[in-house]
Amino acid sequence: MIYFDHSATTPIRPEVLEQMNIVNRDYFANPSSVYKTGRKSRSLIEKARFQIATAIGAKSDQIYFSSGGTEANNQVLWTIANQKNKHVIISSVEHPAISKVLEKIKPYGVETSTIPVDDKGIVLTNELMNLIRPNTGLISIMLANNEIGSIQPIKEIIKKICNHNIPLHTDAVQALGKIEIDVNELGIDYLSLSAHKFYGPKGVGALFVNKNNNIKPFIIGGDQENGLRGGTENIAGIVGMGLAAELAIKDQNTCVTKLKKLEKHFLNNLKEHIPSAKHNKTNNLPGLISISFPGNKSNILMAKLDRASIAVSNGSACNTGNIKPSKVLKAIGLDDNINLSTLRISFGKDNTIDEVDFLIKTLIEIL
Amino acid sequence: MKETIIIGMSGGVDSAVSAALLVEKGYNVEAVFMKNWDEEDTEFCTAAEDYKDALQVCEELDIPLRSIDLTEEYWEKVFKVFLKECESGRTPNPDVLCNKEIKFKAFLDAAKEMGAEKIATGHYAMIDYKDGLYRLKRGKDINKDQSYFLCRLDQYQISKSIFPIGELNKDYVRKQADKLDFLNFDKKDSTGICFIGERNYKNFLKKFFDIKPGEIIKESGEIIGEHEGLMYYTYGQRQGLGIGGGFGRKEAPWYVSDKIIDENKLVVVQGQDHRSLYHKHVKASKVNWISGSPPDSNADITAKIRYRSLDTSCQINYDTQNVFIEFEIPKFAVAPGQSIVFYDQDICIGGGFIESRANKNIL
Repeated sequence: MIYFDHSATTPIRPEVLEQMNIVNRDYFANPSSVYKTGRKSRSLIEKARFQIATAIGAKSDQIYFSSGGTEANNQVLWTIANQKNKHVIISSVEHPAISKVLEKIKPYGVETSTIPVDDKGIVLTNELMNLIRPNTGLISIMLANNEIGSIQPIKEIIKKICNHNIPLHTDAVQALGKIEIDVNELGIDYLSLSAHKFYGPKGVGALFVNKNNNIKPFIIGGDQENGLRGGTENIAGIVGMGLAAELAIKDQNTCVTKLKKLEKHFLNNLKEHIPSAKHNKTNNLPGLISISFPGNKSNILMAKLDRASIAVSNGSACNTGNIKPSKVLKAIGLDDNINLSTLRISFGKDNTIDEVDFLIKTLIEIL
Repeated sequence: MKETIIIGMSGGVDSAVSAALLVEKGYNVEAVFMKNWDEEDTEFCTAAEDYKDALQVCEELDIPLRSIDLTEEYWEKVFKVFLKECESGRTPNPDVLCNKEIKFKAFLDAAKEMGAEKIATGHYAMIDYKDGLYRLKRGKDINKDQSYFLCRLDQYQISKSIFPIGELNKDYVRKQADKLDFLNFDKKDSTGICFIGERNYKNFLKKFFDIKPGEIIKESGEIIGEHEGLMYYTYGQRQGLGIGGGFGRKEAPWYVSDKIIDENKLVVVQGQDHRSLYHKHVKASKVNWISGSPPDSNADITAKIRYRSLDTSCQINYDTQNVFIEFEIPKFAVAPGQSIVFYDQDICIGGGFIESRANKNIL
């Protein structure tokens, strides 16, 4: 299979997998235990915490492990449901791990305003000021979009709101290893990460929490993670995430260069051989390309690509095949027909030019 | 190269075993899960469960499963017609249209586009080829025979179709599924209209129509109750009339014998043997002959007026528009809108829609 769906998930790095296997085999003790093997487990987790912190310019005590990006997002949003200022501002292109949570916590009095995006999927920051209310308790805007790859101007947003003392959260699961993340430079209060998006394991993520915040636990139980996340730690997962983050940063430049090369090769060939295809251009998270094929249905295209052993995604379909126009593509102004003809191709560090050529060749055949 | 067959996989046991049989025969088998109905109402939405069942079967057989969305086609070609028929007081059968327009049209087209030579489904029916014509035959399992629902297919559609379990009976199919480790081997058979499923028919229709209550009358014109809207009742219906006991012969139940559409009245009669519930003559429209032409005038023809009924000998005459059927014996609860399906022994030769019924040959 030729895999072009790295925004959905990435294959695990062999060295990460090896490390996790060692941990699973040799370090089973509960990190809360004080005897020797327990202390070893604890130290493994703390090392991973340091690796994550370093990868985003944070300090170790600002990193809280969770089961993934979705849980990290939930923790931030459910905190809003339990506080006085219950108004939240989000962008119109957020992942359901933000937008659906907000629908769910509506009955708790949480109100949501949405900032529109331009045709490149970038939030219209000027609109932001009109949406701020006295009771705005959070602004949550993703760092990079998962369907079209637009990168949001978080720094600019922080500048605009710095006088209002409103916490800013960013869902950065698509970003690590592809664009630089420095929490201090961004100036954000919360940031969500997910290991499996950067060649780490599934089922583990982290939340960065700046100081002076009133974040509440979402999973309640033991005192793990400083009382902010109950449950015995997923040691192997956490170790895997730490190493994957370190390697993602170490390889970032080579990886991005590679992704851009693949992207350029693909787009040039697409233009030459399938001029009817429409590239939904953004300011471009490396490796993620959204392409519409007017006159086609994405689910049929995907089935045909699957027959040719090529994995891509259409972002908007659930597996039962029910395709609905994607909200993100709607937000950038695509009409329903174009919307439903759109594929997302997301390259990874191990894809090759030959594979891209095969994709082009197959697309020519099936269109 | 091996012929590529794309099977419509529903998550049920019939299509699962069909796929297994095709794999066994050495075809290149691929599966497609069709999504025909967009259900917001999650309580009744079984599509996700069905998909999981289909996926387990396909993984067991090591064949690909892909999904296609035909909700738009279904809405346009089947559901809209269904609503229109309901509105005019008829008793539609969307599954007959679904086969003609969706499974053996939209799905067939999509499958061909995806590289299939033929499609397969888990219908209990058989196909053979004789004297240059494809013939549709009843399924071997007479209790499960689904040729009724396939009566509107044409030569092209049948020529591109395979029904792998047509020669099997249901018990055997279930046993095979169990043997093959399919987790759906004891899954309940689907019943009723697919998009309504287990839910209440009346409540479902109420989402699409205003309630137009009217009178329930006896044949004499005497008013004996109120109905909630003619579309909620069908000919021969006994349950749910709300007029049990108190009128006439206490022990005999009431049945819907007629609908007077213009006056929004429901006519009921008492006792299952009431003569107004039986008709010998039926007029059918839009008749499809599977062979492409009407049968010989001397053929021994039988006809079925609904899925769950035995067929009865009849004589047929036709003009350019309609087919006129005279049954040997009067038939109970002939419902306009339902399909009437014709057989020449085990061959399903076609079908049309019931337009009207009578006891004298005045149609």
